[in-house]
Amino acid sequence: MENIKAEKTMGVKEVIEEASRCLLCLDAPCSKMCPAGTDPAKFIRSVRFLNFKGAAETIRENNPLGSLCARLCPVEKYCELGCLRSGIDHPIDIASIQTYVTDFERENNMQILAKGVPNGKKVAIVGSGPSALSAAAELAREGYSVTVYEKQSKIGGYLRYGIPEYRLPTNVLDYEIERIKNLGVQFVLNKNIGIDIPFSEIEKSFDAVIVCLGLGKGKMIPPFIGKENVITAVDLLSKLKEGEIIELPDTVLVVGGGDVAMDVITSLKNKGVKKVVDVVYEEMNEFKASNKEKEIAFPLVDSLICGYIPTNMTNNEVEFKHRFIDSTLKIKADLIVLAVGQEVESASLPFVFKKGEAERYSEKVFFAGDIAHDDKSVVAAVKTGKEAAENVAKILGGK
Amino acid sequence: MSPKYLEGNKMISKDLSIEFLGVKFPNPFCLSSSPVGNDYDMCAKAYDTGFGGVVFKTIGPKDYVVDEVSPRFDSLSKESTPFVGFKNMEQIAEHSLEENLRDIIRLKNNYPSHVLIASIMGNNEKNWEDLARLVDKAGADMIEMNLSCPQMTSHAMGSDVGTNPELCESYCRAVKRGSRLPMMAKMTPNITDMVPVIKACLRGGADGIALINTVKSVCNVDLEKHVGLPIVDGKSSVSGYSGKATKPIALRFLSQIRQDPDLKDVPISGIGGIETWRDAAEFILLGASTLQMTTSIMQYGYRIVEDLSNGLMHYMEDEGVDHLSELVGLASSSIVPAENLNRDYIVYPLIDNDKCLGCGRCVISCYDGAHQALSFDEKERKPVFDKTKCVGCHLCAMVCPVGAISKGEIVFKPGRTKKEIKL
Repeated sequence: MENIKAEKTMGVKEVIEEASRCLLCLDAPCSKMCPAGTDPAKFIRSVRFLNFKGAAETIRENNPLGSLCARLCPVEKYCELGCLRSGIDHPIDIASIQTYVTDFERENNMQILAKGVPNGKKVAIVGSGPSALSAAAELAREGYSVTVYEKQSKIGGYLRYGIPEYRLPTNVLDYEIERIKNLGVQFVLNKNIGIDIPFSEIEKSFDAVIVCLGLGKGKMIPPFIGKENVITAVDLLSKLKEGEIIELPDTVLVVGGGDVAMDVITSLKNKGVKKVVDVVYEEMNEFKASNKEKEIAFPLVDSLICGYIPTNMTNNEVEFKHRFIDSTLKIKADLIVLAVGQEVESASLPFVFKKGEAERYSEKVFFAGDIAHDDKSVVAAVKTGKEAAENVAKILGGK
Repeated sequence: MSPKYLEGNKMISKDLSIEFLGVKFPNPFCLSSSPVGNDYDMCAKAYDTGFGGVVFKTIGPKDYVVDEVSPRFDSLSKESTPFVGFKNMEQIAEHSLEENLRDIIRLKNNYPSHVLIASIMGNNEKNWEDLARLVDKAGADMIEMNLSCPQMTSHAMGSDVGTNPELCESYCRAVKRGSRLPMMAKMTPNITDMVPVIKACLRGGADGIALINTVKSVCNVDLEKHVGLPIVDGKSSVSGYSGKATKPIALRFLSQIRQDPDLKDVPISGIGGIETWRDAAEFILLGASTLQMTTSIMQYGYRIVEDLSNGLMHYMEDEGVDHLSELVGLASSSIVPAENLNRDYIVYPLIDNDKCLGCGRCVISCYDGAHQALSFDEKERKPVFDKTKCVGCHLCAMVCPVGAISKGEIVFKPGRTKKEIKL
């Protein structure tokens, strides 16, 4: 896994050079386009004026998971899409500047976020993924007593189990979690709410509850349902990350073209799989994966075929048919990985979901993460976590 | 996000206030007397953005008519960096004396805890004295005497005055007759030795010194039209040069003053190419208590004060000080006459071949600009070091694009006494 380095980290000269390309716009579009409310224009300006510590403060101030977003955000859809430098050549590499600054912050052991004065109010958070961590940090800064319940044995949700090491080094995630613990947030692990503890009990014992569920379960679609040698991308990535899979076959067929499919391709090639073939529903001009992911996965994938829908699977052979042209395709592989979307795993919880999004439940229960009404990305999770914290503060009156 | 939520703000907070000529500044950052402090609205915006003080654009005598040229600026670039230096032909305040005084009154009414310094310029003792009286009455906290503007159209005003100690002394006396406000005299760098002028000003009653004003310059020449820039109806003129390129000149005067035993403690407001908190800290370490800026504001806006303040606070934190005054002059004693430097040793460069990309820039510069101590291994694409030729100048380290060359072995010259060396 270590042989692929997604992180092309900049040195100090390069980061200043990149920041010097910034036009320092009035009313900068980049800052308006971050769902999490990060303020790239301000922290880039700080870098330009050699104030790295101030840049780190600006990032943290607005985004408690700034160093994760720096690595995971599909910036070309947000801040970099707004960058006016594109009118000259290409946008500022905001993600790399943010990575540099948050690395600088970590190396200098800066403690920017501080615990608020205790206000006597208790909030429970169900789940420990990005939206949960974001909500927990915001509430702890406001003086709330925050307890996070996680069904797994480690904190982080999809960040921990779904995102490959080369995209998010474990030490970076651990450090981010550590600083949220430093804010006084309590983590209760191996407790599945709804099974180990009834939801009603949590609701009763806390002044407010934020349910932070992601789309944690990989989707199974026909014709793959019930077939052998088929695994969802989520399961595969989690097993790979946890070191459960030691041996992989020689040929793998990946179905899907989003970021998760790219993660699968890169992870499999890193593990030495000889042939990885990816078949994608979207055609090239509608390709879903982010530029950063494509940059890494495209040179690695052995074959990439666009525009095909799976129609049949017999033994290990999958048949596809093109969406628009008269064409069929048969591919045989030892293992088939489905990266065709994810769904929420919520059987044990008393909520109603409509298109994967949770319906209003009670006065004091809020939702964040993929089940909230928003994009399904890490940066959107940070945003919905922040918003849920804000809504909790509204009903509980804050300090 | 609700405003209340923003109270979780954990940006660093340190006391940047400093006392200068008996006046307390909320922070050391001031607009210098220039186009950036031209009227009420501009100064108010500067205060609102975070500047601690303003030196209001120089007010001249009632009968002095300002008649500006167009265009009036030029800038020196190097590679893709604009504004390495900046040339300005604008003169003193364009508004009438009455308008300027009215703005000063309003600014002091609405910003009582911010500092307002009135910059004035007369052309005889009488109107220096009158101007001092008027700005005092309008409520200014301090007076700055502009003895140094290089683009005035009258030889009785501007930098020619600032090179004449007798004239400076008599004008300082005149200002002190007009007002008892604390007063600083602003120096021109267009002079070999500033010390006699400063001493004359102090004799005349100046309480402090502001330095430097702009450097006389011609920035660029248009190669097709054969005219200096900026072109004003086919001609151009010598005028003041400012910005980053002038910082070393300002720091030179600043440190030189501190070497004179009589001027060791004279309060100084530093000016010259300040753009980042690092520039600010350099001026402070060499003895400036307050700082003034224009060019960086003209290029980037008043907002530069945000990173100046925040960065300086972090620096104070790193240095372990709670008051800015503790940093003033900490580096002054490090600048000594050249004959007092230790010449007993050579420190050789140390090349990190792992970092080296093999560009050979060090070899080129060492051969063409130094002592031919580096040659190039063409096969390996690495510099080869010949210690017998190296004089330890470290030009190689300065041109290396990846910082692969550092300071290595220290060798004492024959017959010199070994001692511990501070690199």
